[in-house]
Amino acid sequence: MVNEAVVEQKGAGELLLRADEISYSQGKRLILDRVSFELRRAQITTIIGPNGAGKSTLTNVVNGLISNYSGSIERSPTLRIGYLPQKVYVNTLMPLSVERLLRLTRQSTAAEIDQALAQSEVAYLRQRQVRSLSEGELKRVLLARTALGKPDLIVLDEPTAGVDVSGELRMYQLIGELRDQLQCAVLLVSHDLHLVMSQTDQVLCLNQHLCCSGLPESVSQHPEYLALFGQQASQSIAVYAHHHDHEHDVSGAMGAHKHD
Amino acid sequence: MFPAPWVRINMTEWLDDFLLRAICAGLIMVVIAAPMGCLMVWQRLAFLSDTLGHAAVLGVGLGLVLQLEPIFGVLAVALVIVFSLSRVSSYNSALSETTLAIISHTGLAGGIILVGLLPGPAVNLEAILFGDLLATTAADLLNLLLTTVLLLVLLVHHWRAFVAVSVSREIAQAEGVEVRRIQFLMYIMIALLVAVMMKVMGVLLIAAMLVIPTTSARLFSRSPEQMVYISGLYGLGALGGGIGSSVHFDWQTGPAIVVSATVLLLLTLAITRLFKPDLD
Repeated sequence: MVNEAVVEQKGAGELLLRADEISYSQGKRLILDRVSFELRRAQITTIIGPNGAGKSTLTNVVNGLISNYSGSIERSPTLRIGYLPQKVYVNTLMPLSVERLLRLTRQSTAAEIDQALAQSEVAYLRQRQVRSLSEGELKRVLLARTALGKPDLIVLDEPTAGVDVSGELRMYQLIGELRDQLQCAVLLVSHDLHLVMSQTDQVLCLNQHLCCSGLPESVSQHPEYLALFGQQASQSIAVYAHHHDHEHDVSGAMGAHKHD
Repeated sequence: MFPAPWVRINMTEWLDDFLLRAICAGLIMVVIAAPMGCLMVWQRLAFLSDTLGHAAVLGVGLGLVLQLEPIFGVLAVALVIVFSLSRVSSYNSALSETTLAIISHTGLAGGIILVGLLPGPAVNLEAILFGDLLATTAADLLNLLLTTVLLLVLLVHHWRAFVAVSVSREIAQAEGVEVRRIQFLMYIMIALLVAVMMKVMGVLLIAAMLVIPTTSARLFSRSPEQMVYISGLYGLGALGGGIGSSVHFDWQTGPAIVVSATVLLLLTLAITRLFKPDLD
């Protein structure tokens, strides 16, 4: 709407994307109802909400996969988006190495690929065939792939689906590290707030409309959040909002740090 | 597709030999079947080629009724089908098997009725269904060559996008590949491919030539391109076996090629099971 709203200002906090009154229906079913929010550089925004709340739809509006919404989205003119879908249909019929997967739509040097894989703690998978990866390994490889594009905004839809609980925490830590390193905005969909609590700057609590948004602590006390997720969810935050002193691999099988 | 008269005159001198023509046609087909077959297997579109093949009989019938070259009828029917499919199939729903089966068999049935109604000498239905490689004419050969060159140019030009779309439509789209356009191009290329392969393999056996060598190659390929090259080698083997047994035992060529391809696949399966029990 107002173009100068997207301020040219580098560094943390720079406005990258502003969504204004986004609505989207499929047939007669209203999926998103006048949702507005902003994404800023180096901030992690988490979308939470019950099943069918429109979380994935909202990410698809942001990353451009859905274009027939109403409302407006202003993107910073040079915005580069990296997208990690919830369910990646891995084509098991195609022979494809991890390295090749990383080079699929862009030219990258061997050093860049090594670095991206090492960052996600999966350097040892480089020559493996994609179809032989576990779900957790694949998620990390795809995270590395996303980082390789040096995006300004990373959109992750349930990045820990299919990953065990300790792997989940590590995955969110990795996403946080990536944000620090790339200084990019992160928009992620999560089914539970407590796991992402310590990494999140902004929470969007979604149930077709935006129930509430803001800092995780304030959202977790919001009456609409409590109505959606219940008192227990809010209490469990306290339990999980601490640092872990040891690590597990996403796949659970192997401590990636100890790998030689 | 538009054989000028002079071509026929010049080419018949050295393409006199029906066997030589058959081998040339087979080689050209192998060259294009390898990359197209791989893409179709990756994108699970092999069944679409089967559908277009079956419906091609209707195209042949229409072509004959309208007194056109059958290949134009085939191409027209195939294009109508892929146009309507690309309208119907939404963003990520795979082409439904039911829809394809209905189109496929209705096309085949309608085509056979149409061909049966034609006045004059009976059309060789068997050649349409199972191919007639040994009866390849110089004009057929030119059609095949021109179409193959066109398809190869398109393949090389869009290869990166084709592979990206095959790996994941979602990722490709989010990273700026025009997935719908690429998909539509793919459909049109399949229509072209079916129209030319029909002559060699017969409408019922096109999909076999696209799928079987590809499946053999997949057993030990490590990259998409390697799979294409190895598919080509398997296609060559099948072609050799097919033409050889056709000449020596008087088997029908198209079916002989398919059986050879399957024998090679079974041999490969056995060997890879023996030496690489857990290939990743």
